[in-house]
Amino acid sequence: MKAKNNSIRLPERLLISRSYTTSESNKTGSWRYLMPRYYEKTAPCSVACPAAEDIGRIQMLNTQGFFKEAWDTILVENPFPAVCGRICFHPCEKVCNRGRFDEAVSIRALERFVADTAQRYKLTSGIEPMAFTGKRIAVVGAGPAGLAAAHFLHLLGYDCHVFEALPEPGGILRWGLPRYRLPLAALQPEIERIRNSGVSIYCGQAVGRDFLHSAGETYGAVFMACGAQRMPLLRIPGEDLPGISEGLAFLCSVAQGGGPGFQGTAAVIGGGNTAVDVARCLRRLGARAMIIYRRRREDMPAFAEEIELALLEGVELLELYAPIRIEKEGNGLRLTLQQMKIGAMGADGRMRVVPDENRIRELTVDQVFKAIGFEAAEPWHVPEAGAVSHLKLRQAVLTQGANSVPVVYCGDPVTEIQSVVHAVASAKEGAMALHVLLTGGTAAVAETLAAAAVGPGGSLSMEAFLKGERLNRSSHVVAYEEINIDHFQYAPRMIQPRLLQAERVASFAEIDLKISAGMAIREAERCFNCGLCNQCDNCRLFCPDLAVRQEDSKRGRRIDYDYCKGCGICVVECPRNAMVLEEEQDS
Amino acid sequence: MVSGHVGCAGCGAAIAMRFFLQALGNQAIMVMPACCWSIIAGSYPMSSLRIPLIHTAFETGGAVASGVRAALDMKGDTQTTVVTWAGDGGTFDIGFQALSGAVERNEDFIYVCYDNEAYMNTGVQRSSSTPYGAWTTTTPGREWKRMRKKNIVEALVAHRIPYAATASIAYPQDLMAKVAKAKAIKGSRFLHIFASCPTGWRIPSELSVKIARMAVQTNIFPLYEVENGVKYTINLSPKGYLVREYFKLQGRFKHLSDQDLSEIQNMVNEDWNLLLRKAGLPQVQGEHM
Amino acid sequence: MKQVLEGSHAVAEAVRLAKVQVISAYPITPQTHIVERLSDYCADGTIKARFLRVESEHSALAVMIGAASTGMRTFTATSSQGLALMHELLHWSSGARLPIVMAEVNRALAPGWNIWADQTDSLSQRDTGWIQLYCETGQEVLDTTLLAFRLAEAVNLPVMVVLDAFFLSHTYEPVDIPSQAQVDEFLPPIIPRIQLDPANPCALNQLSPPNIYMEMRYQIHLVMQAALSELEKFEGDFERIFGRRYGAVEPFLCQDAEIILVTSGTITSTSRQFVLDQRAQGEKIGVLKVKLFRPFPVEAVRGYLKNARKVGVIDRNFSFGAGGIFAQEVRAALYGLARRPPVFGFIAGLGGRDVTLESLGEILTRLKTLKRPDPESIWIGLQEVQLAGPKS
Ligand SMILES: Cc1cc2nc3c(=O)[nH]c(=O)nc-3n(C[C@H](O)[C@H](O)[C@H](O)COP(=O)(O)OP(=O)(O)OC[C@H]3O[C@@H](n4cnc5c(N)ncnc54)[C@H](O)[C@@H]3O)c2cc1C
Ligand SMILES: Cc1ncc(C[n+]2csc(CCOP(=O)(O)OP(=O)(O)O)c2C)c(N)n1
Ligand code: SF4
Ligand SMILES: [Mg+2]
Repeated sequence: MKAKNNSIRLPERLLISRSYTTSESNKTGSWRYLMPRYYEKTAPCSVACPAAEDIGRIQMLNTQGFFKEAWDTILVENPFPAVCGRICFHPCEKVCNRGRFDEAVSIRALERFVADTAQRYKLTSGIEPMAFTGKRIAVVGAGPAGLAAAHFLHLLGYDCHVFEALPEPGGILRWGLPRYRLPLAALQPEIERIRNSGVSIYCGQAVGRDFLHSAGETYGAVFMACGAQRMPLLRIPGEDLPGISEGLAFLCSVAQGGGPGFQGTAAVIGGGNTAVDVARCLRRLGARAMIIYRRRREDMPAFAEEIELALLEGVELLELYAPIRIEKEGNGLRLTLQQMKIGAMGADGRMRVVPDENRIRELTVDQVFKAIGFEAAEPWHVPEAGAVSHLKLRQAVLTQGANSVPVVYCGDPVTEIQSVVHAVASAKEGAMALHVLLTGGTAAVAETLAAAAVGPGGSLSMEAFLKGERLNRSSHVVAYEEINIDHFQYAPRMIQPRLLQAERVASFAEIDLKISAGMAIREAERCFNCGLCNQCDNCRLFCPDLAVRQEDSKRGRRIDYDYCKGCGICVVECPRNAMVLEEEQDS
Repeated sequence: MVSGHVGCAGCGAAIAMRFFLQALGNQAIMVMPACCWSIIAGSYPMSSLRIPLIHTAFETGGAVASGVRAALDMKGDTQTTVVTWAGDGGTFDIGFQALSGAVERNEDFIYVCYDNEAYMNTGVQRSSSTPYGAWTTTTPGREWKRMRKKNIVEALVAHRIPYAATASIAYPQDLMAKVAKAKAIKGSRFLHIFASCPTGWRIPSELSVKIARMAVQTNIFPLYEVENGVKYTINLSPKGYLVREYFKLQGRFKHLSDQDLSEIQNMVNEDWNLLLRKAGLPQVQGEHM
Repeated sequence: MKQVLEGSHAVAEAVRLAKVQVISAYPITPQTHIVERLSDYCADGTIKARFLRVESEHSALAVMIGAASTGMRTFTATSSQGLALMHELLHWSSGARLPIVMAEVNRALAPGWNIWADQTDSLSQRDTGWIQLYCETGQEVLDTTLLAFRLAEAVNLPVMVVLDAFFLSHTYEPVDIPSQAQVDEFLPPIIPRIQLDPANPCALNQLSPPNIYMEMRYQIHLVMQAALSELEKFEGDFERIFGRRYGAVEPFLCQDAEIILVTSGTITSTSRQFVLDQRAQGEKIGVLKVKLFRPFPVEAVRGYLKNARKVGVIDRNFSFGAGGIFAQEVRAALYGLARRPPVFGFIAGLGGRDVTLESLGEILTRLKTLKRPDPESIWIGLQEVQLAGPKS
């Protein structure tokens, strides 16, 4: 007998646990209660830079070898990278977060590298100025403030005529700064670039006081950038004896052709950059140079690094000595110096110095140079108190007389610190303020400028003013604690190659030598790029949910919120705090 | 690997898989014993992986892979890499026998243990990979684990396999380089990948990678590799963080006293010196080692 | 070609002829002769297969799972403790629908250690989803092994070929070994329906939530049922090529029998002799050998047993707290019939004790004298035991 069966047929297809689709239909974004977002922030260096240079971004471009782009990025904020890359006192480096990790990034050296590279390849800037406004503006003085003002005004769509009393433009950069710090070859292309961009510079054209009144016929506004080159009096007996000269005039003659050979001993009175430069020039000319300063070395307004170099070059420093009288003695001069001592703390936070009893010292020298700071040469170089509208900005002053065009004062006479980058910042602020005034009226100035501020420091960004990408950043200044230092390796700061010590005093050749592109890139790589996305890709790399996608955009990636669970790893693993994690908004 | 998987937010095991597959490519067959990844890989009919994958019983990682390899050998397929992807439980504990058997036979496959230091799939129970001092749901309260973590790499090294290495989700380059290296070698290869688990370790999800990195930096989980059971290479000299900084961040260790922590620091130092000796490097002294 | 072979070697010959591709096993008495012979064959190239000498039965079956999931024809063999160790993976293999073939030598489970024949090891795996075929002779072992591959690959379920320890595994009998050409005709190369393949990636055995798990199980149930007719079909093919046929059940003089003994494995052979002896004395007695235990051939069992006056099931196995396992199955099969014979359960030969003609005589006496199956299982040949040693 055959076994009967209930004749069940074999199913044609296997029903087994075998996948035939992907898990992409699970929209895990619904789990999220915290939301990561790309949100760039502000680097401390760019806040400390009076010109608000976008330093983090510049270094990012440098690391990629995008030197031209780095250069353009500087030029929007500062037309003098070759100058500032050499002689700026780099407040940026003092606040560099990297300094807390190992050593600050050599921001200034990198700026110089970028500028030199642009000059070597004769690059032209790719920045497009705004459409011509139809307005023409007069700029008085072709120092860094005046030239920068013309540069920014040109960007904003104005036609500029710059008037300069001296035969060549550049102001102190041309006539005051010694060549071993700022060679002409570095300065001139910067000025040429401004000129070539369409700014007219008229040299040998000293402008008189009346111009402020007559300018309205031709110009929509006047920029006053005459600098401050008048030396105040020492107010001591004998200060006008022959053999006593002004430091700046001396530097000017050196700048014009090497200056007189000089064998003897010279005393330089003062503690600023002029004093130090005069002393160092004297060393190069063969003299023994002594700086006499009434306070201590650390109180000197001159840049610490310059003092250091000066001492290495054999300049002597007499701290805490105030000259009280100068007398003729034979062919030389006898200085009587009052020994000073530290007194109470002054209202400005500096230590006061007071005479130390009657301790006196006498010193006989062959020549004396006065270098004790500067003030405006003419009263009308500074803003008139009686103007109808008088807008005191941080680094500039905007006035409008009853029947005259607006006048903007910028540069040395009005800046908080007398430096090139302050002159640039001042010119930028003035240009922006003027532009707002001409387009939106005085009332809009404060608010519009505040919108272009970088961080809380008040440095203004032209890129932000022009509604560029920087505007999208948070004004939050990235603190060192917010850097994920795990992603950085210790690496010492680059060592600036220099002339040998013996070579330095032997000529006026530039002391700081150029650096290689490799060195520059390595140094730029040390930059944390605080707050800025440098495309490191960590967010995408570490995302457990593959919710960070590559895309064809400037950032190169986006968060796919369909899947992002909000774990926050991307935000923590962003080495530079270019992201935020926020509460999910209920929709 | 695709999005939409159901790993917890911040799951280190998911990151481990990403890096691993990125370096390995798609010409592979993966064997997966029971573990969190059994869930992450997707439930019927979905898969979150783009390579063929066979889920298998908890303790069979070494053996099922041997079978797959044997099948490929029979087919003359020399291109496909067979991979076992198992948790620490499936490796250190229940799957240890099959693993030991497979590598003793020098089966031609890569065995990856992603280590989250407990049985997470079943709700954070202790495994022999759970570190000394840790809370788990089976080492609760004052019964926190007082046994040291099994040194699985050394156990594998004792089999004299061609390649054994540690790796961490916090060091993707190192991890991927090791995968690439392992891929090129024939025979049994073992990768021990440290993969943090926010859920089981009681840590904020965003610190998942950071904590994995600290495990390396403290020498708790050194990155090294051993070739043919003899040639030791330490891949990274850590910055020398203190163990307590690593412990401080994690809920599973919050009951430990300063005394406990310094004992643990000593254990870590001891282990590190042991490793240095094997690598033929000089011993180090002091707290920051 | 006839050869005098051990039952174990009959398995090995079938595996050779089946051109198995991956073999893995772990030694356990009395399965060792199968493994050793296959090892030799693989070593000398007689079989072109990968043979994995793994570290446990668990891993042996795991290897099968890996290889079968990659499309291979696979074979393993075990016994007793080894099978028990495989338990988890027995479920796994069937749930994964893998056509794995296993030779299982029935051996008693410890403790105490006992290496002799007993079916409890395989029968306690009855719910694992494996098809189970019990063999009586060396020839049947060889033939069933070939059939097992054909059936497994057709229905995508694993098949266990079961043979008694020593009585079959170590007993030499003349066996007709078919030619390779014949076997090739009967058993073409595997066409895998499940295959891990980087060119067509998919995940196998994934998490299957309640919304689908039950349907998957239901399909296994359907396939198990279909296996009955599939087996019949393949036996037809087999008979055509080899001239032999077994059937899910095999009746021996059951037609007019008033008493039918239900047996499996080698006890059947003794029972055949016993029936012949009893028939000579005028007893209307027959034997129904159950070969296919899973799926249980309910209809066939009913057909052969429904007209008997009494049915005696001889079980070399026991389910503690219940009874002999074949007896339970037979009772359950007959339960649906309006008129059904009483089923008496006899437990005999556990742990390799001989089931002799005398044992069967005792069974027949009991069958004739007892009215009702009460108690449900009657233990045959129990001796009086003197308890000695420490109390408690
Ligand atoms: C010796 C020295 C060293 C210095 N070193 C550094 C340094 O290392 N780093 C740094 O950042 N800063 C340094 N400074 C300061 C820096 O040079 C000045 O802050 C900066 O040049 C100011 O720029 P400015 O345009 O306001 O003025 P200036 O550079 O003084 O330019 C003013 C220009 O206006 C012209 N002018 C004046 N009156 C008229 C007029 N009526 N009509 C037409 N033109 C007129 C002048 O001829 C001059 O060219 C240094 C200064 C000196 C003196
Ligand atoms: C034989 C067996 N015992 C227990 C389990 C339950 N189980 C599944 S996963 C798991 C823990 C897995 O731990 P691990 O391997 O460390 O992987 P994890 O989940 O932590 O990623 C356990 C205990 C099982 N699946 N099989
Ligand atoms: S429990 Fe841990 S390992 Fe498992 S999915 Fe969650 S985070 Fe990952
Ligand atoms: Mg685990």
